[in-house]
Amino acid sequence: MIWGENKLKESLLYVDDITVMREEKEVLKDVSIKVLPGEITGILGRNGAGKSSLAYAVMGLPNYKPKKGAMYFRGQDITNWGITERARAGITLAWQHPARYEGISVAEYLKISSRKEIDVRKMEEALNLVQLESSYLSRKVDKSLSGGERKRIELASVYLMNSQLTILDEPDSGVDLLAMADIISLFRKMTENGRSVLIITHREDVASQCDRSYLMCSGEIVLEGTAEAVRRYFLSQCIPCPEHKDETGETQE
Amino acid sequence: MKVVEEYSQLLEIASRTGGGASALGDKDTVYMVVHANKIIGKNILPGVEIDAVETAEGIDAVITVTKGTIIEKPVHMCFGHLGHEGKQVIKSKMVIEDGARAEFLAHCIFPNAVEFLHAMEGEIQIGENASFAYREVHVHGREGKIKVRPKSKVVVGGNSSYIGDFTLVEGRVGDLDIEIEVEARGAHSHVDIRSKIYGKYDDICKIKDVILLNGEGSSALVKARVVLKDESKGSFLGLVDGAAAGARGHVDCTEVVQGRAVAEASPVVRASHPEAEVTHEAAIGRIADEKIEGLMAKGLSEEESIEVIVSGLLR
Repeated sequence: MIWGENKLKESLLYVDDITVMREEKEVLKDVSIKVLPGEITGILGRNGAGKSSLAYAVMGLPNYKPKKGAMYFRGQDITNWGITERARAGITLAWQHPARYEGISVAEYLKISSRKEIDVRKMEEALNLVQLESSYLSRKVDKSLSGGERKRIELASVYLMNSQLTILDEPDSGVDLLAMADIISLFRKMTENGRSVLIITHREDVASQCDRSYLMCSGEIVLEGTAEAVRRYFLSQCIPCPEHKDETGETQE
Repeated sequence: MKVVEEYSQLLEIASRTGGGASALGDKDTVYMVVHANKIIGKNILPGVEIDAVETAEGIDAVITVTKGTIIEKPVHMCFGHLGHEGKQVIKSKMVIEDGARAEFLAHCIFPNAVEFLHAMEGEIQIGENASFAYREVHVHGREGKIKVRPKSKVVVGGNSSYIGDFTLVEGRVGDLDIEIEVEARGAHSHVDIRSKIYGKYDDICKIKDVILLNGEGSSALVKARVVLKDESKGSFLGLVDGAAAGARGHVDCTEVVQGRAVAEASPVVRASHPEAEVTHEAAIGRIADEKIEGLMAKGLSEEESIEVIVSGLLR
């Protein structure tokens, strides 16, 4: 198909019509998206729209393997690749709720991320970008960190990975509003040298910082366009959400 | 094997077990090196008395840290055997007198043991306003099934603290049955017991930690981290009895199982005084997928991810 081939050629990531089942339910239905080199692409949608499922499918989590469709990264079919293969090829994910690791220091965690020798100054620079002091390097990535601190460390970690495609799943959750401007500039830094970012968010103000956005609803892509067009549609059509009604028949805010 | 070879081999292995073991053999460090039932090296400094005799199966020792002595550098005790089979029984009485402060590092080294029994019977008495840490690190070979039977009874005086740390993560565990009973007898005494064990193949790992909080305002933390893989079996019994006003205790056990390993945990908390508070947490299970996948998304393989998680847990 010529149209498909063109999309494949120009895209860093091209998700082609995938459907993902979880517990006999379609959590992603015929989803197609593309991420272009050097761009920030947003996936906007309300809770339960299927945004994180899409992130997991792209990262290659075994429970999110598509039952149909395909995924291409730098022109290669990665549909059957595992998580490690995808990470080594240049895809990574900053989790919405990053796991905690008893006994592992922040410095060790950041070193794991870079997969090569990394000096302290680089780690300090990454922490600085997420507004954490260098004293955090000796802290443990365990339950002693607050959710917000853990989240920032995850962002510092993916920044250091320098991956071709970084997926950020709800990067703003647990991070206070004052820090948002810095976080956005971090996203921009991540797109230097042709690298790309895919942001998963339920906040239209975060999505509005993207170069292009998709709107998801009930596991489907319902709109693709400029960040501003998607934001306007989201504000006018999705709040309140016509898909979700409570027992009284009223739509939910 | 000549004594000098045994000595240097034990020291070389001990130096890899951390805790500044490279100081073992220094003139400004208190140490004793025992191979089988022979004392092959010893250095004593003022404030520490070591009265050790060789017996048919090991040694009997009385070690005293005298009143008010503060030992800055850890005291190293190296108990080992480089042979394949045999027995080593260490009987010890340690007395930490009032106001004394010391940290002992015991290196138990059996790199070639196949049919072997290593038994330790220890009694530790800690006076008032004193502080004592006893950290025991084992190094076993990759084969064989050494029997390890450490049993100790500790009494802690008022305003004093005791830290007991047992680590067996290198080589096979073999057949381990460790029992520690600590009485926090004095008011405001504190006890901290930690165990880190990595069972493999058909290893057996039994841990029994019993803490009696008899002193007013005494406190205790019992923490066990056990990783079991292959067909190994493990059981943990951690009992803390709050028997005095203001006594506080906590038992924290995490056992991770892989393969066909079987784990059992019994955190027992007892408050036999109305003003005591004792809590517990225990978790047994395989490593959560989210932890493994989190590291895989950074480019580690599944095996590498598990290795990193386990190494963190056993620190």
